[in-house]
Amino acid sequence: MTFKSFLTLIIITVSLTNCSQKSSEEKPKVAVVISTLNNPWFVVLAEAAAKNAEQLGYEAKIFDSQNNPAIESDNFENLISSGYDAILFNPTDADGSISNIMKAKEAGVPVFCMDREVNSNDAATSQVLSDNYSGCAEIGIEFVKSLNGKGKYVEILGLVGDNNTWARSGGFHSVVDKFPGFKMLAQQSGDFDRNKAMEVLETIMQGHPDLEAVFCGNDAMAMGAYQALLSAGKADKVKVFGFDGASDVIEKIAEGKIVATGMQYPIVMAETAAKFADEYFKGKRDFPQRVPVEVVLVKKSNAGSFK
Amino acid sequence: MKKVIGLVIVCFLVYNSVYFKKLSEQSASESSKFNFVAYADSIYNQGILKQAKPIALADLQKELGKNTENAFSQFGNRLGIGQTAYFMVSVDGTVLNKTVDGFEVKTTDGNIYPIDIKFIFGNAIRDASKLVKLTDFKTNADFNKVSEELNNVIREKAIPAQLSTLTVGDKVEVVGAIKQSKKDALPILILPANITKL
Repeated sequence: MTFKSFLTLIIITVSLTNCSQKSSEEKPKVAVVISTLNNPWFVVLAEAAAKNAEQLGYEAKIFDSQNNPAIESDNFENLISSGYDAILFNPTDADGSISNIMKAKEAGVPVFCMDREVNSNDAATSQVLSDNYSGCAEIGIEFVKSLNGKGKYVEILGLVGDNNTWARSGGFHSVVDKFPGFKMLAQQSGDFDRNKAMEVLETIMQGHPDLEAVFCGNDAMAMGAYQALLSAGKADKVKVFGFDGASDVIEKIAEGKIVATGMQYPIVMAETAAKFADEYFKGKRDFPQRVPVEVVLVKKSNAGSFK
Repeated sequence: MKKVIGLVIVCFLVYNSVYFKKLSEQSASESSKFNFVAYADSIYNQGILKQAKPIALADLQKELGKNTENAFSQFGNRLGIGQTAYFMVSVDGTVLNKTVDGFEVKTTDGNIYPIDIKFIFGNAIRDASKLVKLTDFKTNADFNKVSEELNNVIREKAIPAQLSTLTVGDKVEVVGAIKQSKKDALPILILPANITKL
């Protein structure tokens, strides 16, 4: 090897090393990976997470997984290779998303889950989650009181692969199933989607025109169910219950058209996850694995304070 | 005979192809094998009945009035983030009357408190007891199952047995969970964990 070739090799090596290292002045980059931006609730979560990360002095970018684990996986590969330093993550699947978190973990990138839990205690650095079970137990109590302890009802579930779906359903059934006067006519998934819930309820109503109440696993589906009931001329006969605290549902509760919902706090979850990422960058490593965030029951008597 | 056996087989196959099973039951059947019933039973009998140190409701109200933050951190339990906490309290008084949801207790200082035996649900008693840690369970679903079984022990077994001998005018001590908020004044509603006839 000539001296010229040796020098060239040294220059190339030094250049490549500099490319792979972040300069000390460069801001750490925070990726906000969201299950879907096709739902206003998740848009609030995503924007709040990015805004909080930026306010803490970091560069932030939102990635939409479109409720598709394959897109989520691509997002993770892209953001890891692009040198992101932390991920504020809203998973698409409680089991399926674990491998993506592990990829980030292997690359030394901490992951802070928001709102949706994964079924692992040692994948994410921390998980900030709504207390869905308690919130839906309170909705269940309101449901029983509102229907005087008996009635025929339908449950429209969220995404079957999401733990929140089962936490909400579990909290609700932990109450309602103790009252033998209730009969569940059907339990079907509406995928947390307004239009799907509307179609699901329209189909169910054909076979069960005598239903008296609908419990929906989120407010988008509650609005879809309400729309289906309105079209069928049953909106004033069938009681609708949701979960999320979306502004359109709060308005309907105040008007007496929807009975109750559970108010979640996406901004608090986003703020906490961004704060944890900031603390991680500053050296903290000991985070609680799961941080529940309180859910508040909203009904007609207190809807005004949430508008 | 062959026809009968054939009919039974056909009926069995038809039933198994169309019978109704809740999606939630399907999901639950895949969960862990931990014995939640035995665990909840020990939390109640060995924990709540023997170790729980409830604060007298009147004392808690004084503490809340003096220094809310201190009362919440010393006597309450809030897992994670929120404005409310659960407290394990005790009330001595006389059974004033029986209601649709339970009964009312009148204390010696004249206060009347509702005891709700119909809606003992959610995480109130588990959290007020301070005996179960979130980190002891791998998922929130498992952690919530503890509440479900603990509520079952109290609502289905302990309280009905204790109530069976109770009549209006009896003197009682009620130990139970209440929820209070730092932000809004919440009405006192006691979810009983134990009722003792004095």
